[in-house]
Amino acid sequence: MTTVVEIQNLSKRFGRRAAVDNISLSIEQGEIFGLVGPNGAGKTTTMRMLVTLLQPDKGEIHVGGHSVQKNPRAVRRIIGYMPDSFGVYGDMTTQEYLDFFGACYQIEPAKRAALIDDLLELVELSHRRNDMVDTLSTGLKQRLGLARVLIHDPEVLVLDEPASGLDPRARVEIRELLREIARLGKTILFSSHILADVAQLCTRVAILENGQLAAVGSLEQLNASLIPHRTLQIGLLKTIDPQQARLTLATLPGIVDARPLEGLQDSTRIAFEADFDGDDLALHALLQEMLARGLPLVQLSEDTQTLEEVFLRATKGIVS
Amino acid sequence: MSETTAFLTPKPEPTPNLLARLANNPVLRKELRGIMRGQRSFWLLTGYVTVLSAFIFLLYITFSVETGFAQADPQFRQTVGKSVFGGVVLIELILISFIAPALTAGAITSEREHQTFDLLRTTLLSARALVFGKLTTALTYLLLLMLSALPIQSLAFLLGGVGMAELLISGLLLFVTALFFAALGLFFSSLLRRTLASTVSTYAAIVISYIALGFALFVAISVSGIATNDQVAELIMTVSLWVMICTNPLLAAIVSEVILIEDQSLWYTTSMSGALNLPLPSPWIPFTLLYFAAAIVLILLSIHFVRRPSRI
Repeated sequence: MTTVVEIQNLSKRFGRRAAVDNISLSIEQGEIFGLVGPNGAGKTTTMRMLVTLLQPDKGEIHVGGHSVQKNPRAVRRIIGYMPDSFGVYGDMTTQEYLDFFGACYQIEPAKRAALIDDLLELVELSHRRNDMVDTLSTGLKQRLGLARVLIHDPEVLVLDEPASGLDPRARVEIRELLREIARLGKTILFSSHILADVAQLCTRVAILENGQLAAVGSLEQLNASLIPHRTLQIGLLKTIDPQQARLTLATLPGIVDARPLEGLQDSTRIAFEADFDGDDLALHALLQEMLARGLPLVQLSEDTQTLEEVFLRATKGIVS
Repeated sequence: MSETTAFLTPKPEPTPNLLARLANNPVLRKELRGIMRGQRSFWLLTGYVTVLSAFIFLLYITFSVETGFAQADPQFRQTVGKSVFGGVVLIELILISFIAPALTAGAITSEREHQTFDLLRTTLLSARALVFGKLTTALTYLLLLMLSALPIQSLAFLLGGVGMAELLISGLLLFVTALFFAALGLFFSSLLRRTLASTVSTYAAIVISYIALGFALFVAISVSGIATNDQVAELIMTVSLWVMICTNPLLAAIVSEVILIEDQSLWYTTSMSGALNLPLPSPWIPFTLLYFAAAIVLILLSIHFVRRPSRI
């Protein structure tokens, strides 16, 4: 795998506040890399330094082998940036808008027309090509923004909160678009507060807090390091006393702790959440033991660790 | 540093000539399209031509009531022609002094306020291309305004008394005035973050410069008043007055015309330095050089400020 983005010891201060404090990370080609963190964690500042809008105080950033500080123009050729909030030129049509940015990237006029057709088709805005940009809804403007960042065929996309402010359907559409873009071989770095989106899309995630890197890795790696136990959901028929069931569960091999799960209870069953320490073989043995002891088992499932839990465990809740 | 993949190496950039670069400037094309699509340009042009027409109409009525053109001798008609031409040029100078900064004072700040500035700065569009695109748009529109006044000015040619020299000098004065005030607006727009602050600063700079020059003249008069030598006093007065004339577009235009009529000279005069008999250049020359140089400095500064990385 080739490292496309390399950030080394990056720091940035605004007055006395360290917005980014000694961050180092790398992004491989083809990855969808998520950047999460509370407000003021340093996500936007990091991205702005990466796309040459801000000068770092310390550290180095290289994109595609080019130094952001020494050769910003080469970096701009291979990077596409979408900020968390951006304006559009309301007095232009959708086509003119993309044509303008195509010209800003010095794409020849003859190539621009075909490129714009393809991009409008990709983001499903072909039917709105002659409409003024300010008549587009927020979701459509976001799609237009994605088309804009792709106009010069960059290798790396840097997207700051691409799904921010969108309704659920629009968010799903953006997510699908990002998947499609990733399939084209692009490397994507995006930040989001919507952890579900990050968990669904990203190959790796970096968690920032208070300007520092709290954790970085794939979701599985983060799970393994931050959440040592597997979490099981166990459903039993109400024929057994809940207290007795809990005590029995706690004695089963591999079960570290068992607690009632109120949200999944109904008139016929009681539910428990249990921390389990073991691999799949141990899980199979657990199942056999439960049946051997006569527990009225109706459900045994594993709760896939959410990024939310990982995030909460990685951060201390410090907001800048 | 890890290996660099070959396809991430950017292709070398083409280097077209200056004219081609300007013609292909995406900002220029976008801005011109936008300015002509909006209602503002129509009303501005209409207002501009209306003001000029109203002035000429009043002038015409005044002269015709006083004398009746049918009986007016050629000399008088030439005087009227000069007055029409001079009046139009002076009004144009005043209007352009106010319109030019209005076109550029929000050029860069509006991009920041509408959150499009960062989008532009992360493209391959250079700071120079952005500044020149905005400036050229303003100058193109101002040129349109000046050309729209030509039919009104042409009345002067019908009446006579206006030669090619006046036409060329007035055109040059108008262009340099437009260039300087547009560059001034662009300078503040690149320096400041808000359009309101930029606009106020631009017009304040214009007013302050006129007041400052007047104050400098007052100081010069005071200094000359305490000079023991009459010649020194007169020299101080003459030079101070000349500086004030050469730095004010209206005064430069008026005095240049006076020199053209009375001294029959396009280039210099000696009749305005009193007993000193000092040859002084016709004001349009130092005015053009000074305002042009100042405009260049302002443009270069604008490029510098646009190029600098963001502070946040």
